[in-house]
Amino acid sequence: MSGEVVPRKRRRAPALRRLFRGAQLELRMLILLVLLSFGLSLISPYFFTLSNILNVMDQSVITGIVSIGQTFVILIAGIDLSVGSLTGATGIVLGLSFSVLPVPLAILCAILAGGFAGFINGFIITKGRVAAFIVTLGMMSVGRSMAYVLSGANSISQLPESLGELASSTVLGVPTNFIVLVVLYAIAWYYLTFTKGGRTIYAIGSNVEAARTAGLSVDFYSILAYVVSGALSAVAAVFLAARILSIDPIAATGLELDTIAAVVIGGASLFGGRGTIIGTFIGVLIMVLIRNGLNLLNVNPYWQGTAIGSIIVAAVLLERFLSAREAARRDDEEEG
Amino acid sequence: MSDAGETRSSLLSAREVWKAFDRTQALSGVSFDLAAGEVHALVGANGAGKSTFSRIVSGHLACDRGDIRLSGKPVQFASAREAIRAGITMVTQETSLAPDLSVLENIYLPELGMGGRLSWRRLYARAQGLLEEFGQGGHLPLRRPLRDLSASQRQMVEILKALALDSQVIIFDEPTASFSPNEVDRLFDVMRLLVERGKALVFVSHRLEEIFEITDRITVFREGRDVARAVPTGDMTPTELVRLMVGREIADIYAHGAAPGRATSAAILEVEHLATAPRVKDVSFAVHAGEILGLAGLVGAGRSECVETVFGLRRIEGGAIRLAGKPFRPRAPIDAVRAGIGFIPEDRRRQGLVPDFSVRENLLLAHIGRHRGFGLGYERHQGDVEHLLGELGLPPRILDAGILTLSGGMQQKIVLARWILMRPDLLILDEPTRGVDIGTRSTIYAMLRRLAQRGMAVLIVSSDFEEVLGICDRVVVISDGADVTSIPSRYLDVEKLAMFAAPRSSADATHHVLERLVHAYPGAAYWIFVEGDRLYCFDLLSAEADPGLGFARGTFPRIEQTMIPQALLQRAASFAAEADGRQTLLVPIRGHRGHDLGYVGLTLAPGRATPDPEQVRRIVLAEPGRAEDAAMRAAG
Repeated sequence: MSGEVVPRKRRRAPALRRLFRGAQLELRMLILLVLLSFGLSLISPYFFTLSNILNVMDQSVITGIVSIGQTFVILIAGIDLSVGSLTGATGIVLGLSFSVLPVPLAILCAILAGGFAGFINGFIITKGRVAAFIVTLGMMSVGRSMAYVLSGANSISQLPESLGELASSTVLGVPTNFIVLVVLYAIAWYYLTFTKGGRTIYAIGSNVEAARTAGLSVDFYSILAYVVSGALSAVAAVFLAARILSIDPIAATGLELDTIAAVVIGGASLFGGRGTIIGTFIGVLIMVLIRNGLNLLNVNPYWQGTAIGSIIVAAVLLERFLSAREAARRDDEEEG
Repeated sequence: MSDAGETRSSLLSAREVWKAFDRTQALSGVSFDLAAGEVHALVGANGAGKSTFSRIVSGHLACDRGDIRLSGKPVQFASAREAIRAGITMVTQETSLAPDLSVLENIYLPELGMGGRLSWRRLYARAQGLLEEFGQGGHLPLRRPLRDLSASQRQMVEILKALALDSQVIIFDEPTASFSPNEVDRLFDVMRLLVERGKALVFVSHRLEEIFEITDRITVFREGRDVARAVPTGDMTPTELVRLMVGREIADIYAHGAAPGRATSAAILEVEHLATAPRVKDVSFAVHAGEILGLAGLVGAGRSECVETVFGLRRIEGGAIRLAGKPFRPRAPIDAVRAGIGFIPEDRRRQGLVPDFSVRENLLLAHIGRHRGFGLGYERHQGDVEHLLGELGLPPRILDAGILTLSGGMQQKIVLARWILMRPDLLILDEPTRGVDIGTRSTIYAMLRRLAQRGMAVLIVSSDFEEVLGICDRVVVISDGADVTSIPSRYLDVEKLAMFAAPRSSADATHHVLERLVHAYPGAAYWIFVEGDRLYCFDLLSAEADPGLGFARGTFPRIEQTMIPQALLQRAASFAAEADGRQTLLVPIRGHRGHDLGYVGLTLAPGRATPDPEQVRRIVLAEPGRAEDAAMRAAG
C-alpha cells in the first residue's frame, strides 16, 4: 500500500454521502420512524389527529428523560437497571418533601436524592470494580423497597396545584413538558459532542485502557454517567407526579427496560463507545409509537408485551447484522 | 524482478493473485514460488499485502482471482481447515490460543474438533515426543494452563500446534516479535530441522538480520505487487532489500548522522529501588534531559511494569521516584501527564487507540485529558497538529478518517504525535516499533533524535536489541526485576547485551556454577567477557562483601583498572598470580551451539593454597547448556 502517503486509495465521497456515512444508523432508524408513522396513519385515521399527537408527545416525556441518562451509562459500556425504581423512590421523596418544602426546593431535593443514588451506583461500579449489571440490579431492589418504606406502601396524592402546570401548560400549543424534553436532549447532545466530558465518555466506552493511558479522568466521568442517570430519573419522577398530581410507590415499574430498548434501538452498542443522543431520541419515539399504534389498533394489552419485545429484538438483530458486516469490512482493510 | 525461482520445482506456486477490500486494492497480481526444503522470506512494509497473501494461501481469505497450485494441482480453499487438511498451516502472530486450556490441549486443539474419543495419555506422549524431537524438552509445561505462560512461550505453543499437524507448508507470520535473541536461535534450530525434512517454510519478519540469517530466498512485496520474486538471499544486501521494501533509499534507519542530544547533568527522572508486584523487585536508574535511554532485557524481566509504574498505571510498592528532583508518586496517569510525562504503550490496540474515534480525536486524546476547560479546546493545537503531521510524513486530510483505516505504522505515528503535542519533559515508549515497517521505523527514530536534541528525555523499552543499540545513547539492562547495569551503548553489541540480560535467579545455570565455586573455595567467582582492553562482568559472587577485584556485577572497566590484569591478559589454563599475590583461574565457557560466552573466573585472596585447576574446571563445565537454557526458562 502507498502507506506513507495515503491511507486508502479511496475516492473522496461526496459531502452528502459522507454526512450519511457518519450518521448512517440514525438515518436508518429515522426512516423506520417515518415508515412507522406512515403505516399507522394508514391503518388508523385517528393517528394524525392533534389529540393523538399531543398524546404521543406526552407519553414520550418520561421514557425520553430517563433514556438520556441511560444513554450516558450505555456509552461507557455500563447499564443502569435501577432507573425505574429510582423514579419511583424519588417520586415518593418528592411527594413527602412537598409537605415541608416549597415546590422548587422539593424538586431539588428529589433530584439530589436521585443523583446520590446514582453516585452510589457509579462509585461501587468504578472503584469497587463490580459489574454494572449487578450493582444496579441491587439498587433496583433497594430503590423500590425504599419507595414502599418511605410511603408506607400508600400513594401520595393531592400534590401542589402549581406542579400540575408542568404537565398541563403549553407554549405555542406545544406541551411544556415536551419542550423541556427537547431542551434536555439539546443540552445532552451538546455535552456529548462538544465538551471534554462528553468525548471522555465516548473514549471510556470505546477503549477504557486507552482512555486511562492517555490521562483521561476515567473514574470521574464513569461515576458522572451514573449520577446523571440517577438525577434524570428524579426529573422524570417530577413530570410523572405532575401528570396526575399523585405519586405511587409502584410508579415507573419496568421503565429500565423501555429506556434500554430505546437506547439500543437508537443505535447505541451495549459494548459502549457507539451511539448518539439523537439516535436515542428517535429510539424513544419509535418505542412510544409502537405502543401508541398497538393501542390504536386495539391490540389486547396482554399481547402488547410480546409484540414490543419481538420488535425490539428484531430491530437490534438487524442492526447487529448490518454493523457486523461493516466491522468485517473494516477488519479486512486493516490487514495486508 | 528475478525469476530464479523457476529453476527449483515449486511445492506451492501462486500466479497473478488479486484481492480487493471494498475499494482498496490489497493485492494487484502478485506471484510467489515456494520450494520444498527452503525457508522463504516474505517481506514488505506494513500494508504491502504480506498478511493478505498469507491469509489467502492458508485459506483464511478467498482471493478475487488468481491461480494457486499445491504440488502442481490448482487449489482454492474455502476455509483454514481445508488448507490445513491439504498441508498448509499459518502460525499467526496474534495468538489464537485458549488461555484456560492446558498447553497440551492447545497444541492438539484441532483434534478436539474431530470425532471419536480422545486418549489424553496418547496425546501427552505424542506431545512429549514432539518436544524432544525439536529440542524443546523441559521448556514447556504441558499440563499447565496456557495463561501461566509468557508471551514467547505462547508463541512456541502456537508453533508446536502447527508442527503437530505435520504440514508440508508452514507460514510463520512474525514469529519472533516477542522473542529474545536466544529464543530466536532456538526457533531457527527448529526451522532448520523442518527444512531438513523437506518442509517448505515461509518466514514473514521485519527484522532484517533474521531474514539474512535463516532464509534461502526472498520475495519482496510493495503496494500489493511483488517487486522481487524468489531472489536467493545471498544475492541481496540489506540496503538493497530496504530499498525494495520502501521504494527509496534509507541509508541509516537509526539516524546516526544526527548529532546525539546533549545530555545535560539535569536528571529528569530518577527511579530508586522501585518495587511493584509481581515483577519489579529493585530497579534504579536515571534519565537526563536530551538523552535517549533504553531499558533492555528479556520479555518478562519487568521493564514494562517498571515504566507503567512511573506513569501511574501501577501502584508503587517500594522505592521512590523523583521527577526533576522532586518526589513523585503518581496515583493515575493523569498525574504523570500533568507532571510532563508522555507514554506510548506496548499494546497499541489495547492501550493506545480509541477505535471509534477519528484520527483527529485520537491525536488529541492526551490533550483532552490534560485540558482544564469545559469545552474541547481542539482549535488551540490546530497549527501544531498540521506541523507535526508534516514532520511525520502524514497528509493532513487523514485527520477525519477513522483511526482503524490507517496502517499499523501510521497508527503508531499518531500515538507518538499525541504525546509530542503535549510537549512532555519525558517521553516513555514501550516497544515503539513492534510490528512497524522499516520506513515508519526510520521516521520514528529520526523524530526521537530530534526530540532529544530539543532537550526532551526519552526512555525506550525494547526487546529488539538491535534497536536498543541503534537508537539509545545509554542502556540500562533489567533482569529478573532488577537493574543489572547501565552502559553507554557504544560499549555494547547484541551478544554482550544478551549476556547482561540473562537472568540472575539461582535457577540460572551459570549463577549456580558460581555458587558452587564460592562454596568450594574461599574466594570470588564471576562470569565475565573480555574484549579488547575491556572486561564486562555479568555476574559476581563472593564470600566477602567486597572482594576488591576492581569490578563488580554490571561494570565494564578497562583491564588495567582491575586488580587481576595479569590473569586477564594471559587467560592461561592454570592459575595466574598477580603482583599482590592474588591467584586467578579463568575457564572459557560456550553455549550449546558452540559460541563464545566468555569466562567463569575464580580469584583467591593472597596467601591461599592453589587448588587443582582441573577440579575447578570440572565444576564449571559440569553444568551443560548454561545461560542459553536459563534465558529460555526465565522468559517464563
